Amino acid sequence: MKKSIIIILCLTLTISVFAQEAKDKHLAKLPAVEIQDLNGNPFNTKDIQNDGKPVIVSLWATWCKPCIAELLAIADEYEDWVEETGVKLYAVSIDDAKTSARVAPFVNGKNWEYTVLLDVNSDFKRAMNVNDVPYMCILNGDGEIVWQHTSYAPGSEEEVYEVIKSLVKK
Amino acid sequence: MVFKSIKRLLLAFALLWCGFMASAQHQIGNGRISGDFGFNGMYYIPDSIIGAEPVDSKVRANAFLNILYSNGGFSAGARYEFYMFPLIDFEKIGYKGQGIKYFFADYTNKFISVTAGTFYEQFGNGLTLRAYEDRQLGIDNSLLGARIKLTPYKGIYIKGVWGIERNNFESYIGRHDYVRGADVELSFGEIFPIIQEKGFTAHVGANFVSKYELSDQDIYYAITDSTGEYSTAVIPQDKIPENVATWAARATFGYEGFRLDAEYAHKINDPNITNDFIYKPGNALFLSATYSMKGFGIAASFIRADNMEFRSQRWAYYNSELMINCIPAINRQYSYQLIGDYSYASQCNGQIGAQLQINYQIPKKSVLGGKYGTDLTFNYSRFHDIEQIPVQEAIDLGTPTGTMGYTSSFFKFGPDLLYQDIGLEISHRFNDKRWKWILAYNYITYNLEILQGHEGMMRGHLVASDLSYKITPKHALRLELQHLYTKDDDGSSIYAMLEYSISPNWFFSVGDDWNYGNPLPDHKTHYYNISCAYVWNTTRIALNFGKTKEGILCVGGVCRAVPASYGCGLSVTTSF
Repeated sequence: MKKSIIIILCLTLTISVFAQEAKDKHLAKLPAVEIQDLNGNPFNTKDIQNDGKPVIVSLWATWCKPCIAELLAIADEYEDWVEETGVKLYAVSIDDAKTSARVAPFVNGKNWEYTVLLDVNSDFKRAMNVNDVPYMCILNGDGEIVWQHTSYAPGSEEEVYEVIKSLVKK
Repeated sequence: MVFKSIKRLLLAFALLWCGFMASAQHQIGNGRISGDFGFNGMYYIPDSIIGAEPVDSKVRANAFLNILYSNGGFSAGARYEFYMFPLIDFEKIGYKGQGIKYFFADYTNKFISVTAGTFYEQFGNGLTLRAYEDRQLGIDNSLLGARIKLTPYKGIYIKGVWGIERNNFESYIGRHDYVRGADVELSFGEIFPIIQEKGFTAHVGANFVSKYELSDQDIYYAITDSTGEYSTAVIPQDKIPENVATWAARATFGYEGFRLDAEYAHKINDPNITNDFIYKPGNALFLSATYSMKGFGIAASFIRADNMEFRSQRWAYYNSELMINCIPAINRQYSYQLIGDYSYASQCNGQIGAQLQINYQIPKKSVLGGKYGTDLTFNYSRFHDIEQIPVQEAIDLGTPTGTMGYTSSFFKFGPDLLYQDIGLEISHRFNDKRWKWILAYNYITYNLEILQGHEGMMRGHLVASDLSYKITPKHALRLELQHLYTKDDDGSSIYAMLEYSISPNWFFSVGDDWNYGNPLPDHKTHYYNISCAYVWNTTRIALNFGKTKEGILCVGGVCRAVPASYGCGLSVTTSF
């Protein structure tokens, strides 16, 4: 049994490495999943777009501290980023029925300018193969995922900024 | 035996490997394959003081792999789970086994969406149906069957489901229970665009969910009353309802920053082990009102649930075992280490309570707000049990079993306080942008007897501070300090954690939770933890070593027990 666990672990590690390398070869687009906007109206994730300009998609929750730290850090710079690159950030909350009603007051309380969406039964999260929040990805003007990341370390917003700047230059 | 299981394991992984090799191509024709997997393993060391018992196998792990294929409107997927030697907390809840328990094929276009296989679904707020998963808690209440979604006209949404609920790794074959339901939602803003143009939102919805379970045996049920007296009741098999129906109606109304949500659910008689086999109908009411504008938000909600546990089988009782619905725990969720054990768990069979949260941002560039503003969050929540007056028949018989059980006036708070939280959180960014500080205070009252089965109440004051400092644009330090002051339960604790991160790849942390106030002198334990994580795009590898306190793990108001443990853990997650 010890053996089987070690086998699994080795497989997991190799797959992780290959998975990361394979990632860059084909650019994926966002899956089309029916979620909701803040008013509770259906919103299809294929409509996440920004007229040919880059898009940031963040998966977060009101109970997730690093998610909030990341969105707060970007909020400080967001005005400048929009002005410079025209980027648009979609903050998709995975709060469920327990806390989803508090997303709007929370977002407004923080004065965030993001487009906030609700994924109340984690359907989008599942379709995106996301294990844990925070998760963030960047789409280029054609809606292709060019960068993605999990976890948040203070300062990683600088990398996000570099990526969107490079997309605009192209 | 061991040889056989290893052989089976290798075979399963050979299959997975093929799947992966295909996925590495990512593109098959016009289709696309994606996936994710996780491995969570631990090496256990016994420790008698904290109650970490020796486990039969010291090396344990949970692992899973998801593969998804999509091509236009068509998608299909499967998940392989390997929990043969799961982490001890999963072993304790019976989440043990291996196999493909999640697989589906789905076709979606503008008007119709059809799913066959296993699926997750939620009607309204989930008061009648919520099939969902929470991997951290070991909950997977997916349904195996079929689902159809229709959009006959813009703004009209119809869903229908039929399925057998998943029960860990138990086989679906030979099961005598299933769930079916339908839900309709009308979105007036879409049907009449004028409503939306004027800034209004309005939705109404209704659903019907019913479960079937064969009844081919009389039920013998023993109960002890408050005086310690034993009594056994018998319910003949033909008196046990095989079909239990629930329905719910909901409405949402919004105008600019204001929004009101309401949902009421009703359940017909459903004698089951969690309600001592009474015939009383159940009901639940969920109300929520929010108002927000830039820099300010207020949210108030109310919940009442009475005899509303709704499970696929009448003898199911453990945690979320075979739960069909989910009554939300509306209190504010915290991630503070020291009050993790005192998180409120939703009581579907009897709770009434309210929650109020106010968010305010002291404007940027003001004296108190500083250059970047200061965020304030105030929170209050209080939950009680419901009033329960036994019916005469139950008093005469000496047992509620087989009777209507009790009566309860709807808006009356019951005699027992279950949970109360008064909290204030201040989040400030200093003018020197490198510093950020969150300071929080909470006064928590938690009913140990009803929520954990220990004695008494826990009343505790928590002060928590979270200070971060960005040394350079990529290097940052974060210091968490917490103090829980209480005379109850295990007494006071203090917690400190220092995290050092190098963006975007590295995380290091050391932490110690010291239960210095434990009434037992040799239990004033240090629960220390050292961890290191490496993140590369969507792959995260984390190593940790330390002690975990016996307690409760709650995610969103759903809780399960966590046994004490000591050891070294490794977790790997990735998606591709």
